Amino acid sequence: MANSNLPRRIIKETQRLLSEPAPGISASPSEENMRYFNVMILGPSQSPYEGGVFKLELFLPEEYPMAPPKVRFLTKIYHPNIDKLGRICLDILKDKWSPALQIRTVLLSIQALLSAPNPDDPLADNVAKHWKANETEAVETAKEWTRVYASGA
Amino acid sequence: MGASSSRRRRDDYYPPPPHYTSYPPPPPPPPHHHHHHHHPPPPPPHHRAPPPPPPPAASSYYYHPHPPPPHAYHGPWHPAPAPPPPLQQPQPPALTGPPPEYVEHQQAQKVKNYVNLHKDTIRLEPDGADPDRRLVAFTFDAVTDGRVTIYYFAKEGKDCSFSSVYPELQTLTKIPFQKGLAQRFIQPSGSGVDLGFFSLDELSNPSGEVYPLVVYAEAYPSPEEGGSSVNSTRAQITLAVLEKHNNDLRVKVIKQILWIDGVRYELQEIFGLVNSTEADVADADADDMGKECVICLTEPRDTAVMPCRHLCLCSECAKTLRFQSNKCPICRQPVEKLMEIKVRSPEP
Ligand SMILES: [Zn+2]
Ligand SMILES: [Zn+2]
Repeated sequence: MANSNLPRRIIKETQRLLSEPAPGISASPSEENMRYFNVMILGPSQSPYEGGVFKLELFLPEEYPMAPPKVRFLTKIYHPNIDKLGRICLDILKDKWSPALQIRTVLLSIQALLSAPNPDDPLADNVAKHWKANETEAVETAKEWTRVYASGA
Repeated sequence: MGASSSRRRRDDYYPPPPHYTSYPPPPPPPPHHHHHHHHPPPPPPHHRAPPPPPPPAASSYYYHPHPPPPHAYHGPWHPAPAPPPPLQQPQPPALTGPPPEYVEHQQAQKVKNYVNLHKDTIRLEPDGADPDRRLVAFTFDAVTDGRVTIYYFAKEGKDCSFSSVYPELQTLTKIPFQKGLAQRFIQPSGSGVDLGFFSLDELSNPSGEVYPLVVYAEAYPSPEEGGSSVNSTRAQITLAVLEKHNNDLRVKVIKQILWIDGVRYELQEIFGLVNSTEADVADADADDMGKECVICLTEPRDTAVMPCRHLCLCSECAKTLRFQSNKCPICRQPVEKLMEIKVRSPEP
């Protein structure tokens, strides 16, 4: 429908995402709106999210690639840099965006964020506090949430 | 081959004044992200991401792993100084709002080069007979016979001639070589200089256009190879500084100049200008990442961001970029101007 004027860049990125997906990441455009992607990221091994399948939504605004994509977790996740609405605190989604980055690089960065939570620059304050006060326990909670909410059902 | 185009170009461009401002050296590989510590309360504070994968084709094509063949440079040699290039557009009238960066149109040409010193291979090696003296060594390609002259603390004069500001330091000799690819050159024993007398500052700064090390490699083609008229010098000149590295001196090339039939060209490195075969060899995974504009992923790259010199845009997207962002897509350095490059091959 609204797909008639899709820029070549978005078509190319989509084709490449489908033909050569990054390991542990899948992204497929919605049929109604080719700027809207259903994304799945597997929890990285050695992280509290290992074994989890996390759903996200990604939207390419009109100004893309001059403006960053909008990305949000749909699956609940216990992470100091992801809040309960699924919003992600990631510099390349904000002021460090560059049009040379792509959907693929953004999703790889989010995957990396799962491997390296940073409670010093938190989005979810209480999670970050928990992380700093008792990391072992916070990691346990994150694992528990992964089992409960991200079991891939 | 090169003769006709050079002759034609001689009409287009004027020889340069003796001193020509050099381009700044290439920046280090881009830092991918920076700390930012301010946390505005209502919107979520920015989080410093774990290093995301580098922007496509940023690092892969910084340096060409395979030296170009001796007859063609893939970095464009720009005739210097630049008189207005033939295709230069008149400056657009001032627009309202902040002045946008302007796009400069440049003709890049492949110039036939007879001698090519591989600039990453220059070293200073101790002279076995006198370890305090250092001998200059490097790898080079030559399509004709020729000779090399090494100058220490040299200054450029008229017509790309060089002379040392310390003439007593050395007796100048022209060291002959024969044609051949990937040859090794080493200065003859005894002709090196003990650099221990010089301060590090003197060695590492091209102060007042004095370069601590200048290698003047000159083709001396025989008549059947095209070496004809009297004043047809064809030289590649490599200007370098010396930097201390683990108690040793390392050569760092600042620029290379081509002096061909009375025209001076300066190598301006544009990151991202690769030919397709090199791109294929260098990084097969990145398939066409090395050639397409990073914004539309469609058109060929023909516009470089200045001053960082990342050739990453097509001219259309460059126009968009200059109104929407002031940062280079590859390294995020501020954009001062955009330079459109048209690669024109020399006529046969
Ligand atoms: Zn483009
Ligand atoms: Zn740049």
